[in-house]
Amino acid sequence: MNDAASPPDPAADAASLGRAVEVLETVILGKPVQIRLCLACLLARGHLLIEDVPGVGKTTLAHALAQVLGLAWQRVQFTSDLLPADIIGVSVFDRARQRFDFRQGPVFTQLLLADEVNRASPRTQSALLEAMEERQISADGTTYALPEPFFVVATQNPHEQLGTFALPESQLDRFLMRIHLGYPDAAHERALLRGGERREILAGIAPLLSPATMLRMQRSVRGLYVADALLDYVQALIARTRSQPELKLGLSPRAGQGLIRAAQAWAYLDRRSAVLPEDVQAVLPAVIAHRLEGREASARSGEELARELIEACAVPA
Amino acid sequence: MIPRDFNRALLWVCAAFAGGVLLHIDRMPAWAAGTALLLIGWRVWMLRARPWTPPVWVRALLALLVTAIVLARFHTLNGLSAGTTLLMLMAALKLLETRGPRDEVVLIAAALFLLLAACLDRQDLARTPLYALQTWLCCAALAGVAAPTLSARESGRLALRTLLVAAPLAVALFVFFPRLPGSFWAIPREGQALTGLSDSMTPGGISRLIADYEPAFRVKFAGEPPPVAQRYWRGPVLHDFDGRTWTRRSWAQHPRPALQFLGTPVAYRVTLEPTQQRWWFALDLPARAPSPQVTLTYDQQLLSAEPVSDAVSYEALSYLHARETGELSASARREDTLLPSGANPRSRALAQSLRAQAGSDAAFVQAALNYLAGGGFVYSLEPQPVGADMVDDLLFQTREGFCGHYASAFADLMRAAGIPARVVTGYLGGEWNPIGRYLVVRQSDAHAWTEVWLQGEGWTRVDPTAVVAPERLRRGMIDLMPQSFGASERLLHASPWMQQLLQRWDAANGWWTEKFVKFSFSTQLDLLARLGIRSPEARDLGWAFMAALLLWLAALGWHMGRNARAPRGDALARAYLRLCRKLSRAGAARAPHQGPRAFAAQIAAVRPQLVPHVQGLLERYTQLRYAPPGPDHAAAVLEFRRAVARLSLRRAAPA
Repeated sequence: MNDAASPPDPAADAASLGRAVEVLETVILGKPVQIRLCLACLLARGHLLIEDVPGVGKTTLAHALAQVLGLAWQRVQFTSDLLPADIIGVSVFDRARQRFDFRQGPVFTQLLLADEVNRASPRTQSALLEAMEERQISADGTTYALPEPFFVVATQNPHEQLGTFALPESQLDRFLMRIHLGYPDAAHERALLRGGERREILAGIAPLLSPATMLRMQRSVRGLYVADALLDYVQALIARTRSQPELKLGLSPRAGQGLIRAAQAWAYLDRRSAVLPEDVQAVLPAVIAHRLEGREASARSGEELARELIEACAVPA
Repeated sequence: MIPRDFNRALLWVCAAFAGGVLLHIDRMPAWAAGTALLLIGWRVWMLRARPWTPPVWVRALLALLVTAIVLARFHTLNGLSAGTTLLMLMAALKLLETRGPRDEVVLIAAALFLLLAACLDRQDLARTPLYALQTWLCCAALAGVAAPTLSARESGRLALRTLLVAAPLAVALFVFFPRLPGSFWAIPREGQALTGLSDSMTPGGISRLIADYEPAFRVKFAGEPPPVAQRYWRGPVLHDFDGRTWTRRSWAQHPRPALQFLGTPVAYRVTLEPTQQRWWFALDLPARAPSPQVTLTYDQQLLSAEPVSDAVSYEALSYLHARETGELSASARREDTLLPSGANPRSRALAQSLRAQAGSDAAFVQAALNYLAGGGFVYSLEPQPVGADMVDDLLFQTREGFCGHYASAFADLMRAAGIPARVVTGYLGGEWNPIGRYLVVRQSDAHAWTEVWLQGEGWTRVDPTAVVAPERLRRGMIDLMPQSFGASERLLHASPWMQQLLQRWDAANGWWTEKFVKFSFSTQLDLLARLGIRSPEARDLGWAFMAALLLWLAALGWHMGRNARAPRGDALARAYLRLCRKLSRAGAARAPHQGPRAFAAQIAAVRPQLVPHVQGLLERYTQLRYAPPGPDHAAAVLEFRRAVARLSLRRAAPA
């Protein structure tokens, strides 16, 4: 918007992206990989699911992302009595003009932080998920396009906890990545304890990017060259998940597309023009772990399965 | 869309089985081959429909019926032709109840057995491509049955590739598998016509043979071949005469004469075509038996213990001249002067008057020859028929005949005058093949001549045909009497280039027979000796075969392993894999799941001294493989390959 006049400069974009990473690392201490994965997810035009126990900084991370990227953002705290209209918006009768007006809900923003998404009822969840996939809202026979860019960063607590509705596979598939934050290590935890309140730091962050830059970078990511050799590798990975008897379901073509886009974004973050098998391997656990499910209840977690998949699948020469 | 019931595998099976039948078509009764082909045709016709299967009692009855017919025709179920016919008919009946892969495999086994029987039966060069084709057909049928989803083209290619892979093993088996001497592999072959000369001679006997252009044997001389007029090939010697037919008595035994050989010996190698008879042929006169299983009889024939059922090859030694100064034993003299009483009275009178005029036995022989030369006798392959007194009829009425008639008449005249005489049958001449440098003696060169006993000289060859038709000594029968041959032989013989082609083909056949068909145990041992094994024996052949087998398995394993390790990639992939192998030898092995950057990081961790040598190469590979290809991509790949080839980590960074 305000940057639209300035000529697109890939080097400047990359530089500001690098600074954004640095700033985010000052807010979320000791989680460089997760920060890069979050950025890669957004650069790949995907939605992000952050899953972890309360209090490890999920909301802070989402908040910081919105701040640094210079995006308009809304936060919705999901609860079990949240209704679809609370997210999407509602039609209100305007007495003066004798007609219904659509009041846009919080979803009409550039970054929607859906906190504790698994606390809402399935009906509400699916309303959100539809918006995520279609990037538009239909209400009273009218279709409203969502702003560009549009991201959903959802957080959820592991669903063993009380009062949660686990997201079904079909909806999990719509998140490009799922990441865990985990507890910080001792040194970073000490810094965290010693340091000031995170919210104050957040308030002091100046936006380093803008929606226009973000869109431009997304286009650059999508334009990164993907060699046939890389496609061979991705296909080999996908084929292996479909033939493995210990998996309930193999990866979907959508997962394959997401994998390639995420790898492109990872390469872009690394300022490379070629997408390498290492990029695929770096994003693979985050992209596929929430889509894989072992056949047995006591089976290994999706991340473990993803790591085994990497080691079992040879990179074509 | 192919209907569900369409069975491509069965089509292959029918083709393979039909091929097996066709290999035997000229050796088999027409009704048997016809039945088999009809059943195959019916099954192919019914390929799309679900065929009618006769009830089990009908099938059992048919099987019994076929067995009975074969038994009635051949009087045995054993042996090559009866067994083959029975198997072929049974397999054809199997088509009536072929329903699944199991039945189809049985039919292919039958086709393979028919192929094996054909190989045992005949091993000509001309049939070799047919056998190869049939082998391929059977393999393709097996592939078709095993994998019904393969297209016809794929089955054929698979069979071809499999056979090519198996070819080295077949060669090793051929060369090294011990060929046990003796008739272990021999199969009784009843009902096969005896060919060539027999142990009796009737006036019409040889003329039938003379129209046969097939080769009887081939001769390769160690030195110069003997002069054309001396090429008498000695076969059965006949002693008993009943006035019409000369026969050989197999029981007669007389002391072996003390022969005194004159001149230089002729050494040569004979490759004899199968005759199913016991004679081996040698240049007149053979000096010794060429093989332990062959005896040299008192009348200088080579007589084998076994009939010649397969082509046989032997070294022989002959002298063109010999003398025998001793006395003829009384029993032998009696045997060779015996004449049937009352037969041929006019000839007997003629002989006695000629003998009375001549001063000596030698002069009488000359007088008899002069009588034949001056009496207006004609050499003819189709003489007028003669009666019971064949010699009288020939000498005084018809005055035409061929070698058999004249030899017979001449021996009769000699005996009538009291001179011991016998008829020798064999071959005269032969066609020189300048390409293979050998002599082909054909059945059409069959000949008969006379031997008379002259005191002080011994048995002396006298050829009465030589005075009646002197050109017979120099020219083959086909030149002399082309009208007695078939049109195709005459045509072949008439055009020089056709004749040359024929000679080339015959030379190739001779080479094939000598090198492959006659490849024997002793040749195998010779080969081992040439490979450097001292005093080789059968066990060494076994070891050599095991070594060849292991070599073949190792090659196969290596090839399969290499294919499994690295699916065939492009030049860049091969160069990269080569780089990885070099690094692996230098102590930095790439895990299969490592990409080039991860690999570079690992090298830096485990073998930092290698990094300066390979860092650039790995980066170039990454660019070439994953970055957008530039205009000089091919050149860059080539340069990368060269750089990898040049890279020597042992020198650059010793471990």
